[in-house]
Amino acid sequence: MKPKVAIFDLTDCEGCEVQIVNSKFIDRILGGVEFVNFRLGQRVNRWDDFDVAFVEGAVITSEELELVKKIREHSKLVIALGSCACFGGIASINNFLDINEGKKYVYGENADKIEFLYIKPLPEIIKVDFMIRGCPIATEDFERVVSDLFAGRIPKEHTRPVCMDCKSKGNPCQLLKGVACAGPVAYGGCGAPCPTAGMPCDGCRGPLEDPQTTAELELLKKIASKDDIVRLFRKFAPMAPIFKDIGGGKL
Amino acid sequence: MIYDEYVTQIEGHGRIWFDIKDGKVDVRLEIHEGSRLFESFLRGRRADEVPQMSSRICGVCPVPHNLAAIQALENAMGIEASEQVKMLRRLMIASQMVHSHALHLYVLAAADYLGVNGISDVYAKYPEAVKRCVRIRTVGNKGVEVIGGRAVHPANSVPGGFAKLPTRIEMEKLAKDFKGIMNDCIETFNLFASLKYPEFERATEYLAIDDGKHFPSYAGRLVTNKGLNVEAKEYRNYIKEIFKPYSNTKFCILNGHGFHVGAIARINLFKNRLNPVAKDLLKSSPVKFPSDNPFHNNLAQAIEMVHYTEEAIQIAEELAVKLKDEERPKQTKASTGVGVVEAPRGTLIHEYTVDKDGIVRGANLIIPTGMNTTNIEEDLYAILTANIKKPREELKKLAELLFRAYDPCLSCSTH
Repeated sequence: MKPKVAIFDLTDCEGCEVQIVNSKFIDRILGGVEFVNFRLGQRVNRWDDFDVAFVEGAVITSEELELVKKIREHSKLVIALGSCACFGGIASINNFLDINEGKKYVYGENADKIEFLYIKPLPEIIKVDFMIRGCPIATEDFERVVSDLFAGRIPKEHTRPVCMDCKSKGNPCQLLKGVACAGPVAYGGCGAPCPTAGMPCDGCRGPLEDPQTTAELELLKKIASKDDIVRLFRKFAPMAPIFKDIGGGKL
Repeated sequence: MIYDEYVTQIEGHGRIWFDIKDGKVDVRLEIHEGSRLFESFLRGRRADEVPQMSSRICGVCPVPHNLAAIQALENAMGIEASEQVKMLRRLMIASQMVHSHALHLYVLAAADYLGVNGISDVYAKYPEAVKRCVRIRTVGNKGVEVIGGRAVHPANSVPGGFAKLPTRIEMEKLAKDFKGIMNDCIETFNLFASLKYPEFERATEYLAIDDGKHFPSYAGRLVTNKGLNVEAKEYRNYIKEIFKPYSNTKFCILNGHGFHVGAIARINLFKNRLNPVAKDLLKSSPVKFPSDNPFHNNLAQAIEMVHYTEEAIQIAEELAVKLKDEERPKQTKASTGVGVVEAPRGTLIHEYTVDKDGIVRGANLIIPTGMNTTNIEEDLYAILTANIKKPREELKKLAELLFRAYDPCLSCSTH
């Protein structure tokens, strides 16, 4: 019997679902699983029990809060897809700002009609069995997780700093060039696309396990202003552990 | 409360509420997608990081958000990008159009027309069509990746140009890759030209950008079929946003009424500027453009896939012989700037105010699906009224089919 799979998107850009479609495993997935609930891909969607539910996006509305709890009840495994689900994502920058002023700036006199919950990462709301990190997720990560799941294994964390990916690409070091870069403390495995494209790493996959934060901050303080360090960590994974403190101004 | 009635096979969360009483239709396009408040939190960010952040508005069409932001920031900061940079940006847009249209046509829209439930069934019954889609999308993604450093959310495209330029060899390879999908794009046109679209027509105003030379792509004036022809930076004088209590997306009106942006608007307005193969296909098309049938947007997308593939080949071939290293120009002033590009779903406007330290102090974003909302509601009213005698389930399906034909992106429109 084909595994029963659901894919849900909360508030986000849906780029991680696009990465699923971009994956070279797409035919294996289309042919190898039964989509029980996948609004983006099909008309009829059911609330049967799922073997795996992938959840993308941030919980911004109370409807989404209710939805993720329902997903947890219906699924054997819940996998958080991308940094919005894992770490609040870009919209959780709002957590550090005056939300009422923000709503007013965008919606004017109708601001109070817009719901915006303080964004919590999915693992702080429901039990999450595995996180596929990144903004967006790397197709290779998705493929590794899917291979594990097809083989009946729970995927494992592969923790290494982005610097390792970056060095293996032969890139010049951004920090040595004097550019503030999150690479040394950021969770790697992405292939370092940003430094490879000549930009610093902005830590979209959150921190690696036990990062050398003190050393990183010492280094950053020599080359960047406090505001720039805050901006670097308050970007794509603002609610990730450690990043949340730095992005909140604790340097 | 959890809604199970969100329209499927579209990007984001929205539903069509309608009621019929005494022979009169009442209809609302309710967009529940959460508001991420981009305009608010982009304030206080550095201009060189904003294009990467703006791109996160949409994972389906990150390129236009990245580029509209860059163009607006450049205008605000007095930066003039080189001709080479503009060519690379047009190549990024062409690549984006090709893979986004393929996604919409095959993954989201096809199931309806083929009478199946969704993408898995399309794959089971028509594996060749899905493989064609994958081939097209792989090359479209490649185009964005080679220039922007990553397919979803370009990494290196910033005000003034690129943190790293592609090589001539990469351009040569890219031209070859795009040539390799030309037949697949033509087959896509043949498939979508053979479909039977619901009969429905409603005249409206079509808007796209015009740079005086190219089929709409990167930068230009705002023009319509009803004679509007104004500079993009004057957009606030013509396009207004209205708040409706049932929608997190603000509804746009142009001179007080609905208007239509997207592939159908571009073809209706600028079909004479299509590249040769696309132009020939259009001549052979059973559907004639300009068309006032919104369902024909799907066919317009298929024609555009051919056009933008031709464009990608032309630009990549030219750059394969003349691409050279350039200095990136720097900020020369602090002001407010407007950027306008064509996204797959239509004209996209970004506006930013930048201070002398290069920090963004104000932002306003007008999104294609936001522009289309009023027109969609007007179309829904017209099509439901025209079919008022039909059973409710059938009306619901027809309304959703119409909504989907716009290729709406509600994540974008709410942002």
